[in-house]
Amino acid sequence: MRSLRREPLLMLALIGVFGLVAAFIVYPQVQVVLTPGAAGYAAFIEGGTWTRPLLNSLELMVLSTTTAVLLGFVYAYAMVYSDMPWKPFFRLVGILPLLSPPFVVAASYLLLFGPRGIVTYGIFGQSPNILGLTGIWAVQTIAFFPFAYQLIADVLSRSDPRLEQAARNLGAGPWSVFRSVTLPLSRPGLGAAILTTAIYVLEDFGNPALIGGIFTVLPTQAYGLISGFGDLTGAAAVSTILLLLALVLYLVKIRLDGGRSFVTISGRASSMPRPPVPPALSRWCFTACLLLAGLILLVYGTLVVSALTAAFPTNLRFTGDNFAYVGAHSLSLRNTLVFGGAAAVISALFALVAGFLVERGTWPGRRLLDFLLILPAAVPGIFFGIGYATAFNQVWLDWLDRGALITLSMIFWNVPVGYQAAVAGLRQIDRTMDEAATSLGASSLRGFRDVLFPMLGGSLRVGFVTTFVRAVTTLSVVIFLFTPPTTVATITIFQLVNDFNWGGATAFTVADVAMAIVVLAVVGFIGGRRGLALGGARG
Amino acid sequence: MAEAHLRLEGVTKRFGGVTAVDDISFEVPRGSFATLLGPSGCGKTTTLRMIAGFYDPDAGDISLSGRRINDLPAHRRGTAMVFQDYALFPHMTVGDNVGYGLRLARRPKSEIERRVKETLAFVGLAGLGERWPNQLSGGQQQRVAVARALIVEPEILLLDEPLSNLDAKLREQLRWELRALQQRLGMTFVYVTHDQVEALSLSDWIAVMNAGKVEQAGVPWEIYYHPRTAFLADFVGAVNLMPAAVVASTGADVEVRFGKRHASVRAPEGAPLSAGQEVRLCVRPESLGIGPGGGDGGGALRLPGTVARRAFLGDLMRYWVIVDGREWIVDQPDPGAAPEFEGDVALILRPERVHLIR
Amino acid sequence: MVREPRTGRSATEIDRRTFLRLLGVAAATPAVIAACGGGAGAPTAVSSASATTAAAKPTGRISVYSALNESTNNAFVGAFKNATPGVEVDLLPLAAAGELQTRIRTEKNSPKADLFIGGSSEFHDPLGKEGLLEPYQSPNASAIAAEAKEPAGNWTGWYFGVFGFVSNTDRLNKEVGGAKPATWDDLLDPKWKQKLILPDPVKTGGGYIFLATQVFRFDRDEDKAMDFMKKIHANIAQYPGTAPQAISLVSQGQFVGSPNWSHDILTEKAKNPGIDLAVPKSTGFEVGAVSIIKGSKNLPAAKAFVDWVLTKEAGELNVKLSNRLSVRKDVPPAPGAPTLEQVTLVKYDRQWATDNKDRLLKKWQQAVGL
Repeated sequence: MRSLRREPLLMLALIGVFGLVAAFIVYPQVQVVLTPGAAGYAAFIEGGTWTRPLLNSLELMVLSTTTAVLLGFVYAYAMVYSDMPWKPFFRLVGILPLLSPPFVVAASYLLLFGPRGIVTYGIFGQSPNILGLTGIWAVQTIAFFPFAYQLIADVLSRSDPRLEQAARNLGAGPWSVFRSVTLPLSRPGLGAAILTTAIYVLEDFGNPALIGGIFTVLPTQAYGLISGFGDLTGAAAVSTILLLLALVLYLVKIRLDGGRSFVTISGRASSMPRPPVPPALSRWCFTACLLLAGLILLVYGTLVVSALTAAFPTNLRFTGDNFAYVGAHSLSLRNTLVFGGAAAVISALFALVAGFLVERGTWPGRRLLDFLLILPAAVPGIFFGIGYATAFNQVWLDWLDRGALITLSMIFWNVPVGYQAAVAGLRQIDRTMDEAATSLGASSLRGFRDVLFPMLGGSLRVGFVTTFVRAVTTLSVVIFLFTPPTTVATITIFQLVNDFNWGGATAFTVADVAMAIVVLAVVGFIGGRRGLALGGARG
Repeated sequence: MAEAHLRLEGVTKRFGGVTAVDDISFEVPRGSFATLLGPSGCGKTTTLRMIAGFYDPDAGDISLSGRRINDLPAHRRGTAMVFQDYALFPHMTVGDNVGYGLRLARRPKSEIERRVKETLAFVGLAGLGERWPNQLSGGQQQRVAVARALIVEPEILLLDEPLSNLDAKLREQLRWELRALQQRLGMTFVYVTHDQVEALSLSDWIAVMNAGKVEQAGVPWEIYYHPRTAFLADFVGAVNLMPAAVVASTGADVEVRFGKRHASVRAPEGAPLSAGQEVRLCVRPESLGIGPGGGDGGGALRLPGTVARRAFLGDLMRYWVIVDGREWIVDQPDPGAAPEFEGDVALILRPERVHLIR
Repeated sequence: MVREPRTGRSATEIDRRTFLRLLGVAAATPAVIAACGGGAGAPTAVSSASATTAAAKPTGRISVYSALNESTNNAFVGAFKNATPGVEVDLLPLAAAGELQTRIRTEKNSPKADLFIGGSSEFHDPLGKEGLLEPYQSPNASAIAAEAKEPAGNWTGWYFGVFGFVSNTDRLNKEVGGAKPATWDDLLDPKWKQKLILPDPVKTGGGYIFLATQVFRFDRDEDKAMDFMKKIHANIAQYPGTAPQAISLVSQGQFVGSPNWSHDILTEKAKNPGIDLAVPKSTGFEVGAVSIIKGSKNLPAAKAFVDWVLTKEAGELNVKLSNRLSVRKDVPPAPGAPTLEQVTLVKYDRQWATDNKDRLLKKWQQAVGL
């Protein structure tokens, strides 16, 4: 493209982004896709054990995505529009479900709501069989609504109150404003939320593994093939199916929102407040959020109690012994903090730059880059890790620090949400903003830095939070990459769980989650002080 | 005419299958207030954005001071732009908005401060540098947008319907301010608008665009009184367009017949008209007179007619008069000083105020 | 495999004698123990240090991929370092043999580990076939039965894991009459209806071993085996996605019982005495293996490690730490664990089970209608 030729720096940035994507997303995944070979695929397809998990995966995707996005929308609406109290509290609770280290949180659901669950049997005397579709559906709804909430809230908070005010002035009632203005304008966020949630539901391993029972989905099948049978070929073939599904989802999304304009930030400044929502609606929002928060806190509270008792729930003697494991494995906690923190910062920034190049670019091939940047969401962590282990375990790369490699894997595995947020955010900002900067003498990249970047604080935050939280809670990506000095918290949790050390595992999980919350709070504080528009969080 | 500052030659822009700008060429003299006028979708904004470098033309050359700028990136063209929606940066104060271009040029801090202050004062916003854009009124925001563009001393200032979001009174006030500013600075302005009054009142030079083409370019007086096409005549203001036929053409004058009447009017530019050719009379309402029925016209034609309706517009009274079954619009200036007409009247048509359109 | 039907006993069960033979011990006499332990001519097997045979004392570092339990690792490595001064061990703990196997495979271009310890031989064997392991016949392995080691020395078995049955004592007494199953067929009784759980055969190695065990138990009559699986399906409420999770769920009292690994059951029992272990007749088992990874940069130390793992001292330590059974007859089982006299093992053909996995799973899915 001519515009690229004229701006060598822009060209360089584009080549850089493409290069990184090729090296750290495409190349490792190609390794995985090629693993089975033609014969492997043929045998796998003929074996037919994949049809049932495929159908299960699709069914679950439809159900969980629908409810998670719905819940996320309600939560985002309540946070951005309503006048409900306790918003800072709900903000924290709204990301807590993302802080779900492997096994432990899902196990907590079973402790509470299983056939002999503390709530279900202990309080209500019921013995529900929650293992299976219903159970995963419920747990995934809560586990993934934060993605939808963050992406939608970011978009909603940036929408122009004037549009809603105008609709009100034209005589539209609150419901009508919502339907005719708010909802359509939140489409970029909604689209991103649906795509992202659907892909993450498809990719989810942890919840189906513990809650799913016999309801086998593609990731649990793939995991089982590796951990139960060492069958890398079959597992890689399953992974390929997931990639194909992601491609289909992506194409559907392109079709759905192609070519529409969602600009809500024009250059005209406005200090107009949002039209007030009826008090009854605020109360309703508050109640709904409170119920959800109560459920989430119950699950995490169970973990805290488990960590502080000798053998929950059979022996409730209070003890601090379990936290000895935290001290003994402080290295893994520290590594988690360092890798996760570095990955989150870099991933969020990278996502923003990439989002800018794709959303504002006119060069050919941007659809490809767009897809490649969403792709990692569809790769189950285990295959992302396997891809990295295969691709970068070469004699000539032995100088590469393992910590750096783990950080890289976290950066690129988690890029999709930040990227989606960046694109959704950019779509809302009128191009005249960039052009105004350009016409005053700013190159495209300079204009991006000075003008767009500060307005995309919310998107940046979504990227940071998601990457950090996922980096802190991922086991599968790291499992093939860690070494004794670069072990991470989730590995420790995994080891303790497999050792039937529920107390130690919960204590470590509590420490891991607490550390993550502290980091997020500090970042939120700094972000707030720097005046970044923390879109997802802004009430 | 002064030297051409901006020159477009055969510029074409297509979006998909749609040709937005179709092989247009024009020149803008240095130091002039040039306006691209046209209805929405005519390609005027696209043309402006090609000048700014936001779009690449598919064909043709754009040159500034004789230098071709097609391949110059937008931020190196020295073409500052004022946007319809102002495009103020919401995360910067007014002062930071205005000083942004100087910061990009790495001017010293003290200089930036001084010039921001000066420029804000220049546009009448002294002391508002610390405000945020959303604390300003629309008119103030527009002045900030202009100040922000002016401060970088652009080679040429591009304005994309900068007044269209303001109320009528403010619009008129800012219009004069802009014009005064341009004349004080002696800077070349390229202004895009769909408002013909704005175009006529501001501009040294106007290009009227329609369907991706320049219909006519020239000084406002020419555009207004000697439009080359019916579209133009109609677009730049109220007009009477009456079908007529050429009876005889004698060099500078043409005798035409319209209805049952004859008149001798000035020949339009271009090839001579031949007898029998279909033309249209183009008369602005203010060029007509209205008087009581009957009486003698002197040098003018008196066309007997009937008042169909009238409208009091403040500075003038507008009459719709039926003559020979056709409706004419007549404006009567200073209505307070003249009688109101009803029923049978005479339309006074002075042949020298008639323009012929082919 | 040739089966020799014997009178009065199912041909597919291995009795105590057979099991001992499998261990390479004809009779449990001290003399034989001594002979087998000191394969390299060392006078007794009890002395671990003397069992290592390297001419030069091994030194340097070795990197070990360990699928052993977290609580086992440190003590185990510590004991090795005591017995082998001069060798440092970097231990990568990951209680997931399948993941470690995959890791070794993905790292083949630049191997990062010298040894792979723990996990059943199914996870070591394919690596050997792919040429990713360094064959080593430890002198201490000479007494180990052929079935518990790879002929070429790619891997060597050093413990047995036996498939057992975990039950929640309270619920067992109240709801099922208190009797633990003596045979797998006991689990078909309707009183177990919706009270059992089984690790998912599709997703877990343990679940599949249970399925394959049934096939071997019925003399490889797959129809009978599937019939059994179909009947037991009526009693099974859930098929959890991991084997340890099934134990946790029974331990919590969410369900009454589950077929599972007996050593894991004992580990959980130490924390929650409210559960108990039973080992039904004709059960399946795994051979826990150790292997040297090809490309090891410190072969002498790696070999010393394998030698030490096969000593009585290491065997006893492992029994104590993980409740598994040592392949050595001179190492007694963990307290509460079934003694060799108490278990009967099915004739488990690992290769066949691996080769027929997809087919059996598909057949099973059809049989139970999942």
